[in-house]
Amino acid sequence: MLKIYYGDLESNSYIFNPDIFFNNSYEDEWITDPISVQMIKDIDKSDVIGPKVIDSPFLGSIPVERLSGGVKTLILMNNDSEHIFNASACGDNCAKWILKIANKKDLTIRLGYLMDFGTDDFDIEILNLGKIVHNRRELAESVLDNHLI
Amino acid sequence: MVGKYDIEIYNNKVHYFLTVKRNITILQGDSASGKTELIRLIGEYEANGNSSGITIKCDKKCTVLTNVDWVLRLSSLSQSIIFIDETASFLKETKFAEMVRGSDNYFVIVSRDDLALLPYSVEEIYGLRDVSGLSKYNTYKKVYNEMYKLYNLSDVCNKVNPGLVITEDSNSGYEFYKQIYGGNCESAGGKSKVYDRIRNSNKESILAIVDGAAFGPDVGKLMRYLSATGKKCVLFAPESFEYLILKADIIDVPKAVLEETYNYADSNKFLSWEEFYTDFLVQNTQRTVFRYGKAKLNENYKAPKIIDKIKNIMPEQIISSRN
Repeated sequence: MLKIYYGDLESNSYIFNPDIFFNNSYEDEWITDPISVQMIKDIDKSDVIGPKVIDSPFLGSIPVERLSGGVKTLILMNNDSEHIFNASACGDNCAKWILKIANKKDLTIRLGYLMDFGTDDFDIEILNLGKIVHNRRELAESVLDNHLI
Repeated sequence: MVGKYDIEIYNNKVHYFLTVKRNITILQGDSASGKTELIRLIGEYEANGNSSGITIKCDKKCTVLTNVDWVLRLSSLSQSIIFIDETASFLKETKFAEMVRGSDNYFVIVSRDDLALLPYSVEEIYGLRDVSGLSKYNTYKKVYNEMYKLYNLSDVCNKVNPGLVITEDSNSGYEFYKQIYGGNCESAGGKSKVYDRIRNSNKESILAIVDGAAFGPDVGKLMRYLSATGKKCVLFAPESFEYLILKADIIDVPKAVLEETYNYADSNKFLSWEEFYTDFLVQNTQRTVFRYGKAKLNENYKAPKIIDKIKNIMPEQIISSRN
């Protein structure tokens, strides 16, 4: 299930800057993992050539460190369960992937904005409130009513 | 700093076109739209100049501010356009907001989170989009990115007959709008409370009037809420109530002050254009019958002729014939 902490988070396991954290912690096999390959294709429109090379239609052949901050954060969420990542590094186009990852395992993230999780129903726990919401209306109202952001 | 600046940044693979005209510009949007790459190019150019292979065309110096010694660096910068990525941890700090106030630099900030301490405009929140497919670019094998406005609040499509009018203003602005909308009009008592008023209303149709020049930190979540709930609420976001008065031809205002405000609203003195318009109105009505004060509306602004003049410059969709 997806668990979200909204607003400012202070925790030893919280990673504010997943972009830099990724550069210094990723494993080669994370990149060639099929779900990473799909996420890189969907978000960055890029192909994984190998664990060290990405083919970007915009930037040419790039190292893994030049992937977008959003897709790096998604790969971290999928592979590193020890940390809570700042999902504000992800745009709305990452939302469906966050839900997919959270379908496989408990995933805790931090958000500072109202990410659009789409119109389908979902189960998201708002950790600040200890409350589970099931659609974007409940999510928006719970977050804003309680001035979490 | 005053002025409007076109910025062109490119290497052999990507090409950015941006225009900044206020002290604070916000970049948001989807992942992989090129925001971080833009900042990387500016940083590499700054470090290596022409030998970077990057070209920056701008009348002002473009620079990147990072977490490293940011207070010291910011203190030393002047007449520059400062780009800050979302990885900067100081963006929400009071110290940063204090340093932006009175700064003679412009700031271009990448942040999806609201920066509540900075009064940026709804007009200056942009995304980046790939425009390579447009005919003027499609002969080149390059990616062309330009800014696009995320919120177009000026387009009110259908006639609105609001059961409730919420004004962000609690003083002069509220007094004026009450003249137009009568008992339907309520003050939210501040921009952060506009959501609460909309949320708690059971009226079928709501009009919320906010000062667009400083409503930037709140507009994203409000629009998301309206989209998620389908609540019928129209957001009217003129720069400010004072801007409407200046535009309504009640006092003589040089056209350029309103059309090229960026050449007048010095970031040294004014944190937002809202502050500039208020100051301009106060200064220019001091010894006139239209002496303006923010706390209480001068009775002369409630004269039918004056009300009509201001109504004339508001979108007709929100001015009912009954008003």
